Amino acid sequence: MSTKTIDYDNQIVRWWVISGIVWGLAAMLIGVIIAFQMVYPALNFGPFLTFGRMRPVHTNGIIFGFTLSLIFASMYYAFPRLLKTEIFSKTLSRVHFWLYQLTIVGAVLTLLAGKTQSKEYQELEWPLDLLIVVWWVIMAINFFGTIWKRQEKRLYVSIWFFSAMIIGVAMLYIVNMMAIPAGLWKSYSIYSGITDANIQWWYGHNAVAFVLTYPIIAMMYFYLPKHTRLPIFSHRISIVHFWGLIFIYMWAGPHHLLYSAVPNWLQTLGMLFSLMLIAPSWGGMLNGFMTLTQAKEKLRTDATLKFMLVAITFYGMSTFEGPMLAIRSVNVISHNTDWTIGHVHGGGLGWVAGMCFAAIYYLVPRLWNTKLYSEKLAELHFWVATIGILLYIVSMWVSGVTEGLMWRAVDETGALMYPNWVEIVQQLAPFRLIRAIGGTLFLGGALIMVYNVVMTIKNAGAGFEYVDLREGIKAA
Amino acid sequence: MSHHENQDLKWYEKLSHKIEDKMQFLVWIFVAALIGGLIEIPPFFLMGEVKGPVSITPYNALELAGRDVYQQEGCFYCHTQMIRPFKWETDRWDRNREYGPEPYSKAYEYVYEHPFLWGSKRTGPDLWHENSLNNNASWQKQHLINPQETSPGSIMPAYDFLFNTPVDIEQTKANMNALRKIGVPYTDEDIAKADQLLQGKTQGDALVAYLLKLGRDTKQK
Repeated sequence: MSTKTIDYDNQIVRWWVISGIVWGLAAMLIGVIIAFQMVYPALNFGPFLTFGRMRPVHTNGIIFGFTLSLIFASMYYAFPRLLKTEIFSKTLSRVHFWLYQLTIVGAVLTLLAGKTQSKEYQELEWPLDLLIVVWWVIMAINFFGTIWKRQEKRLYVSIWFFSAMIIGVAMLYIVNMMAIPAGLWKSYSIYSGITDANIQWWYGHNAVAFVLTYPIIAMMYFYLPKHTRLPIFSHRISIVHFWGLIFIYMWAGPHHLLYSAVPNWLQTLGMLFSLMLIAPSWGGMLNGFMTLTQAKEKLRTDATLKFMLVAITFYGMSTFEGPMLAIRSVNVISHNTDWTIGHVHGGGLGWVAGMCFAAIYYLVPRLWNTKLYSEKLAELHFWVATIGILLYIVSMWVSGVTEGLMWRAVDETGALMYPNWVEIVQQLAPFRLIRAIGGTLFLGGALIMVYNVVMTIKNAGAGFEYVDLREGIKAA
Repeated sequence: MSHHENQDLKWYEKLSHKIEDKMQFLVWIFVAALIGGLIEIPPFFLMGEVKGPVSITPYNALELAGRDVYQQEGCFYCHTQMIRPFKWETDRWDRNREYGPEPYSKAYEYVYEHPFLWGSKRTGPDLWHENSLNNNASWQKQHLINPQETSPGSIMPAYDFLFNTPVDIEQTKANMNALRKIGVPYTDEDIAKADQLLQGKTQGDALVAYLLKLGRDTKQK
């Protein structure tokens, strides 16, 4: 290890943390609004604030505004520390940040204006797509350049997972964004019908893999040992499940198209590889859990650790539920229902947001060199959020199974029991209301966190004090 | 992090160290991630045009303008356009028995769908056979203006504003030209007819025309 001091450039990490909090709050708020719209249609205000225009703002805002900001915060924080060198270029870091912000602002405005390519999680029209390509390349140069000039020979597993995101998203995005422009804010996918569907869900499912899974696993592998000062349970598992995920995930997209008009061989491949995904997914989950349980009686918990625990738990649950939903005979009931929405939010609220909140509680005191304003409020955030998640996913399970069964219910003569669609919709209203309340609680928890963060930042420079979570060990 | 002496290393550790040195691991990540797509996607370009028992006509200018409105408003977030091969789905969406012995959605029906609009969530009913189920333009219009009036208990937003917004004729022509470049067989005549078809029409009118086109070509009697 060299003795020269490294300029960690905490400023850029601070910017990304704030970006994540701001876009996260906005996207969660929109999520709550559209959840209530599904119970009270009078809450739609056309043309800009209808469900159909706000839903992509919610999904893109959460995936690319909230999550990606905290992934970048974690990368700009972890890369210099794991590689023992400064980030390749401070200028590129800033260009990356501002072009990204321009993209997100453009995304909100154009989506609300109804400018969309209508491909889920890749709705943005071609000028914004091109802008994303530009800063994605800039970002790749910045991080790969840092790996190139590293002073630490060995790459920690987090670097592998973050790098996989950079490469995988580039590949997926470029293939799926291919469109023919018909004006500044209008274009058509060059693919049609079943080909378009196949490519879209190859992209869509792997956006989940390369944005909402690998970098979040990288964050788990970084923050968990850092925070608990325990080594990860098994480097071998981390290597094996890394390659397992990278290889297998890419085949699983067609489970979004079961029983659709795409060929059967494709559906079967998608189903088989989805089932296989349990192994590498649970490898990661178990590695996280084992890291903790090796010493759990010797560990105190704080909010950061609790959020990591809930994240890993929901990761395990979602990666079991996902393959199950990808089985044809289960998919018959669940496809197109609220169950899918519940599944996404088990992963989204529990795993992704859980890990992002853990990252915020870990980073903020360190970045602003002070103590967290209130551990109690962080604890409150944790419980409010957890109850919110449970209300959300349980109500969506009930709602999804209910509608799946009502669609197919027939009487003794073989006739549909619920030919009137609205009758089914009305059955689901109470569960959707509970979902909206769960989402509101989750947003409320996030607001508690924002207050805590603001109060912490107000006291910036007071001195950060590391608290060792291992019992009986004095703070270093 | 734990092993630094070479003699302790397992084979997989040696291998991963080897591909770390000059960053070859980035290439290997690319290769490992590429394989699934390479197997699953290119066959779609090799199998040629999907043929069906009836021929599908491209949307005319007004219907295409309506499809653009459907995209603009994000209708596909709540309505699917993909009827699965189950009796309870075909009973519901082919209740007039107009789509032959296999009345579910098939690949050839979607050849001109740029992009596909199958959706992933069926909050409202499937619309792929809308022409067969509800071939009444004034009902469709009334439903878009005030869904709760025609379908009490519906949670659909009101789209009254679409009936005050004129269709952009020049944009629609540009759209047809763009689609022609990627294989939709529009003739010059089709595009020229846009002026006449779209004259004085609102986005709402176009959307109704689009909805009534869904399932029109694939009827088998």
